[in-house]
Amino acid sequence: MTDEAIMEAVKDGDLQQMSLLFDRYHKRIFNFLARMTMDRDVAEDLTQNVFMRLIKYRTSYRHGQRFQSWIYQISRNVFSDHYQANKSKSSNFIDVEKVRDVVADRDETMDQDEREEILHRSLAMLDDEQREVLVLTRFQQLKYEEVAVIMETTVANIKVKVHRAITKLREHYFELEKI
Amino acid sequence: MKFMEKGKIEDLLIDYIDGKLTEADRLLVEKELLINEKTYKLYDQLKEVMQLMNQSSTLQPSAKLKADFDSFLKSESKPVKETKTIFFQPSFYRVAAAVALLIVGGGVVFTISNEYAKQQAELKAMQKEVKETKLMLMAMLDNQQSASQRVLGANVAYKMERTDDEIVRALVKAMNEDENSNVRLAALDALRKFYHQDHVRKTLIASMATQKDPIVQIALIRLLAEMKEKEIVRELQRITTDEEELPAVKDEAHAALHQLV
Repeated sequence: MTDEAIMEAVKDGDLQQMSLLFDRYHKRIFNFLARMTMDRDVAEDLTQNVFMRLIKYRTSYRHGQRFQSWIYQISRNVFSDHYQANKSKSSNFIDVEKVRDVVADRDETMDQDEREEILHRSLAMLDDEQREVLVLTRFQQLKYEEVAVIMETTVANIKVKVHRAITKLREHYFELEKI
Repeated sequence: MKFMEKGKIEDLLIDYIDGKLTEADRLLVEKELLINEKTYKLYDQLKEVMQLMNQSSTLQPSAKLKADFDSFLKSESKPVKETKTIFFQPSFYRVAAAVALLIVGGGVVFTISNEYAKQQAELKAMQKEVKETKLMLMAMLDNQQSASQRVLGANVAYKMERTDDEIVRALVKAMNEDENSNVRLAALDALRKFYHQDHVRKTLIASMATQKDPIVQIALIRLLAEMKEKEIVRELQRITTDEEELPAVKDEAHAALHQLV
């Protein structure tokens, strides 16, 4: 059963079907939000908010709309609201100390773990939009076409943003590596 | 690659690593990599960060996320009626008013069926009754001492078959200015019924920009989105970026934008 057919059923009032969409998407959305906030606990709360909004606003789901694009659009809104609500409380929104939390535990060499930690610290140094395009296109491996729909812009514009973000990430990464 | 600026080289190298270059550009880049040490270093660094991103492992959320979601879904699956109880609490009054009107009206209809003259007299009585009902509801809406009376006034308006400018003005005033949320909502509820009247529609759209009560704001956004009012898109966009608006209102505005755009 396609995501879209399930969402149509949810829209028609069969809320239990939402658990299928939760199973399919919650890890992806959690990973997206974890890398946007660099905080696992916050990311879990925001992921929960995303699914609550899907249910609350189920009637605004348009027939034929690609579900994956819709859920990412809602996730972006949830992140944006969280950011707006928190930026006044703290000027340092991303807690650098928490960056380590979003580096998964793996049975790899220390070298790999260290490199991934530097990568995430570099990612945290980017602005939100640059971090967002990289998380979507590289970590989540969505196509430029889909990211263009999610971010309501053109594919060419996404490509420019991605290239600039990679360039900036490289600079931060090799600066931090020297330390 | 002397003719190229640094940004352009990086663009080509990123596309090269992604395997997105044309054959001609690919050969150009490979040639450059063989002869230019700086370009090769840049390529090597870009490749490292790009590979790290591609290979970055998936994070696992805690079991609590799933448990919380299941619990939320369970609570949402309960009958919808329960959540609306508070808003319709004044329905007791509404029902009472409706029953009272029915008794009066029913009595009148029964009587006038007997004979024409009597019918005429009763018709006049009924018109008088309607007029009195209007006066009564206006007085109720204007009752500054009792919010429940004002709610009752709005609910009597809701029960009416037709409305006039005077009643609409009173309802709009109640919706925009009444100090009590239940009154404001009851007034909006009544206005919703007369939405097809152009001046009611315009008044409701105008009220979007001035309404300060989040509960009424949410109800108003829902109503206007449901009516596919594209005129409110700009106002909705303002709400989504206004730091002073409550998150719940912003949520509603986001949802309405999805619905309208």
